[in-house]
Amino acid sequence: MIDYQWTSTLIGLLIAGLILFLVRRDHLHGPYAIWWLVVAAMVVVLGAFPRLFDTVAPLFGVAYPPILAVVLGMGLLLIKMLTMDLERSRQERKLRRLTQRLAMLEALLEKERRNRPAQKEGGAGGNGDQVW
Amino acid sequence: MHSHSQSFPVLAGFAVLIPAHNEAATIGGLVEAAKEHLGGDVVVIDDASTDETACIARSAGATVLPLSCNLGAWGATQAGMRYALRTGYQQVLTMDADGQHLPEYLPLLLATLVSGEVDVVIGACPERGSRARQLAWSYFRKLTGLGIEDLTSGFRAYNEAAMKVLAAPDATLLDYQDVGVLLLLRHARLRLREIPVPMRERDHGGSRVFPSWLVVGKYMLQTSLLCLAKVGMNGKRRVAQR
Repeated sequence: MIDYQWTSTLIGLLIAGLILFLVRRDHLHGPYAIWWLVVAAMVVVLGAFPRLFDTVAPLFGVAYPPILAVVLGMGLLLIKMLTMDLERSRQERKLRRLTQRLAMLEALLEKERRNRPAQKEGGAGGNGDQVW
Repeated sequence: MHSHSQSFPVLAGFAVLIPAHNEAATIGGLVEAAKEHLGGDVVVIDDASTDETACIARSAGATVLPLSCNLGAWGATQAGMRYALRTGYQQVLTMDADGQHLPEYLPLLLATLVSGEVDVVIGACPERGSRARQLAWSYFRKLTGLGIEDLTSGFRAYNEAAMKVLAAPDATLLDYQDVGVLLLLRHARLRLREIPVPMRERDHGGSRVFPSWLVVGKYMLQTSLLCLAKVGMNGKRRVAQR
């Protein structure tokens, strides 16, 4: 039976490897990759030195050291979820404004098309760029 | 009455904005009636309809903004306002596509707006709606301190200052065109006035905004939170774009 330390170190390394793979394949966007790499690094460090919590926990008045790990983990997860919702709101706003803008442009194109049905060689709409 | 579809951009005047989602049954008549009673341009914002709404509106003489995803009544109205600002309109009037707003009262709204004493005119019909709705309204009136009788009326006229406030990104994440919009306007120290107008019951289908009690509950919670979050923001900051 191998030591628990090796198991958790291995898990951390696997997570780090997976993240690098996802970044390499362009599945994970830069800022998110950094968060997950930090997570992987923490797993490696804590996996290699599980005694860390035994020294840190008493400093925070936590009697049972593993609980500190659980509380910290949950706190970080909550922060991560909050930042995800912030990001989603930002994206929602962007999506709505883009949808509106696209509709405006379509209306403009339609108008341009109607205004000069005969002109086929005209190319792009004349004053469109200034207006938008 | 005049319809100017020949020039772009239109540098002055006003437009009637009608957000519409699957309103093929009423939209054509409404566009024609709006043109007949007020003139000017009618812009129908087609909120990702799956029926012939856009087509019918276009052939009735409206400019159509075709939204590619459903943004809801407020998202559609805001698209119309952004378009109106870009094309140089100085006033817009908004009305629902379901036939509850009467186009013959559009001139009254516009006349009240251009008198210059107010920035937003609301066509109000506070006596419509069920007891539950009345209760909800008085609750939100108390919560916000807004002295507006008809909080949800979409029959309104806005001047350019109000359009700029509402076209800004700050207003984009609103989901309904009622309390949140009114709070933004108050925050920008714009002057609002209600004028009483009669309204009709919907011609077709049920309410688009409140199809079920679950949705009503969600609305009440969401809007209450919005009100609480905006407590004390009574026009202390001027909106930069004004």
